[in-house]
Amino acid sequence: MSSPAVSLYLDPQIRDWVLFPITLVMILVGILRHYVVLLLQSPPKKLARAAIREQRALIRSQILRATSANSPIPPSYYRSISSRLAAAFEAGTYLKDGPSEGDAPSTPANPMTDPAAMDGMMAGMKTQMVMMVPQMVIMGWINFFFQGFVLIKLPFPLTLGFKSMLQRGIETPDMDVRWVSSLSWYFLNFFGLNGLYRLILGNDNSAADASQTMMASPFAAGANQPGQPQDYVKLFKAEKDNLAFAEGLYSWMGDDVETRLLRKHGKL
Amino acid sequence: MSASFGSALHSLANYRAHNTRASQEVLEKGKLLLNSNAASKLGDDAWAFLEQLALAAIDVAKYDVADECIRQLAAKFPESPRVDVLTGIRMEATQPPETVLKFYEELLEADSSNAAIYKRQISVLIRTGKIEQAVLKLSEYLDTFYSDVEGWVELAELYSSCNQYTFATQALSHALLLAPQNPFYVLQFAETAYSADDIPLAVKMFMLAIDTVDRHTSDESIPTGVSIRAWYGVKLCCRVLSERSCSSASETPLPKNLNLLDELATERVLTAYSAGGTDNATGRELVFSWMGPSDRSGSRLHFVH
Repeated sequence: MSSPAVSLYLDPQIRDWVLFPITLVMILVGILRHYVVLLLQSPPKKLARAAIREQRALIRSQILRATSANSPIPPSYYRSISSRLAAAFEAGTYLKDGPSEGDAPSTPANPMTDPAAMDGMMAGMKTQMVMMVPQMVIMGWINFFFQGFVLIKLPFPLTLGFKSMLQRGIETPDMDVRWVSSLSWYFLNFFGLNGLYRLILGNDNSAADASQTMMASPFAAGANQPGQPQDYVKLFKAEKDNLAFAEGLYSWMGDDVETRLLRKHGKL
Repeated sequence: MSASFGSALHSLANYRAHNTRASQEVLEKGKLLLNSNAASKLGDDAWAFLEQLALAAIDVAKYDVADECIRQLAAKFPESPRVDVLTGIRMEATQPPETVLKFYEELLEADSSNAAIYKRQISVLIRTGKIEQAVLKLSEYLDTFYSDVEGWVELAELYSSCNQYTFATQALSHALLLAPQNPFYVLQFAETAYSADDIPLAVKMFMLAIDTVDRHTSDESIPTGVSIRAWYGVKLCCRVLSERSCSSASETPLPKNLNLLDELATERVLTAYSAGGTDNATGRELVFSWMGPSDRSGSRLHFVH
């Protein structure tokens, strides 16, 4: 079936006017996208001091807990810090807007109403758009002009499993798997050009991660960005329990330090 | 000419990397570069160099050089908080502290999250002797930027300077939490606790300092640096504890085997002083005579050598 007699002969014009242009356009678009994303990036927002304090309050108790099983500080000091933090978490001293009045149910703020959160989400959406729109345009261009083109023959044999990957857009069950269709060439480039972008634009370019971020939806991408509203009331409540656990584990390094030292120097 | 520029640039970058405060050298090398307008050829390194030169120039009171550097930096980065800090330091050099404090206050109102400005403000307060305000500001600063170890140590020193040793130990306990591996903070904690007359706590912390430093050395090794000082501390505490009953504000229990500990501390300090050559003979005599009369437990110490 794939004997040389029935093999296809590709017009060299296809190589010059289809294969190379597609590759070139994709590289150039990737580079362009990198610079557009750079332009779109807004400088990181400055947080007010109260907001920083709220964010970092958890770190305090994490630092305290990190060494609690072998703590460098004596029991009375540990307990005073621990109980003070627990009380502050309970009362909401560290909350950005001060302690909450009364017992209003703590609902997480709707991100759509908070302008700061909207900004973060918009930034995520903008980069997503810059990623997606050119890809869609290129795909449309290839589909419109070069639909069903066979562009290249791979120099090595492949199994039938690769047929759907390499011959997308061509419905011929009998053609050798080594022939690559135009749409498949597009996908091969789309996923394969990252290394080239890294060479051209450096390691942390925004062109290379296009294929990764394409998979994520703009809303999901926005969710893990810093500056998104987090329900600190709940986090603080949970941290209070952690503090109680850590206090149960607490032991001071100094408890039997004299025994350790005396034993080391052979006095015991 | 370019070779000397190259070497000057290299040593300047070296000073920056190691945080060396060699202001006079920086100024001499930097002026050469500044005058020949080499900064424009440096690219992005130029700005770090200008900042370095400005600080060095203020250090040795060459204000014209500093002003030139700051002017170039401000032209490049108009809104930069880092340049604001430089401007503030420049003002501190010549203007009255009230003006500088007001300048910092305005900056903080515009951007309340600028840690460097806070620190400058606190340093001005300390310099002008307003310890009370400095302590207030510093506690406020540490309440937000908790993980600043040097800030906690500074707070402890401020408290110590006002004889508030208990507060100082509290500040140091935060430094200990943040850097549990640093024996110097443990030692400082111990000494502060000793000053606060919490002897049981002090002796424990002295031992912890020794434990931190000597963890990986053999028992035969000669104590050095931190551990000599800490052994001295143990010895001193043991002596105080044997002379009078001490209460502990932190309810720290007394160490067990106090006599053995006293003996060990004496032995360790004497080991440290016996090991050296003949050059510290007088010091050794003094140490031996200080160690001698403390031995009230009856058991003569077996002196090492």
